[in-house]
Amino acid sequence: MKVTLISIPVRDQEKALKFYTEKLGFIKKLDTPLDGGNRWLTLVSKEAQDGPQILLEPAPNHFEPSKVYQDALMEAGIPYTQFDVDDVDAEYEKLNKLGVEFSIKPTEMGTVKFAVFNDTCGNNIQIVEML
Amino acid sequence: MTFYEKEINRISDICYSNEKQLETVIETKNYIDNNFYNDLSLNVLSYTRFVSKYHLLRLFKKYYGLTPRQYLIDKRIEKSKENLKKGMTVTETCFAVGFESVGSFSALFKIKTGKSPAQFQKEQLSRSS
Repeated sequence: MKVTLISIPVRDQEKALKFYTEKLGFIKKLDTPLDGGNRWLTLVSKEAQDGPQILLEPAPNHFEPSKVYQDALMEAGIPYTQFDVDDVDAEYEKLNKLGVEFSIKPTEMGTVKFAVFNDTCGNNIQIVEML
Repeated sequence: MTFYEKEINRISDICYSNEKQLETVIETKNYIDNNFYNDLSLNVLSYTRFVSKYHLLRLFKKYYGLTPRQYLIDKRIEKSKENLKKGMTVTETCFAVGFESVGSFSALFKIKTGKSPAQFQKEQLSRSS
């Protein structure tokens, strides 16, 4: 078995695609139309294009518990998932200039430095640098 | 303050209050990052930080979740991927990242990535051409 996919619930797939590619720099990998205007929409990291894919999944629109869980995480400030970066400060500066809203600015905790931002699609996302 | 921030602060106080230990392991990790291509043993690492080697091993594992040796191997494999992508030969790559034998490098590379260095390079180069 291999780990090839992580799924992120989003309220609007098109808006998420724009945010994750234009602001965060991911690259679209698969885009297959499904029933009712939904898509099997995946992204890869620019630096690891053969690495795991992110599935932008419209679950909150179709399955109420997913929406409830997503809302609860957002309310508590808990990140849905996290991505590794080489330099949290540099990434924070870059994303801040692009208008991305951070709930936690770059902060050191033990052997990592991290920050948390809003992906505008219902999730907090954490970026992490290993110190 | 959100629930998450409160939890982060609470866990930090419990797990990361020993600044001297943190400094020791972070400096050790940085030393590995900058010297991975050299012959690095636990003796060398503990000598650079003036701590006993078993103490360092325990601390590193406690804070990073893996031993300095495991971290060093992961670092070398990551760097060897970069070199192979740039077109460096398998033998050159092996010695450039600090491994001492091509046989053990290739075997480790295959365990960690699922492919031999030659296979990996062939796939990467055909993809970029």
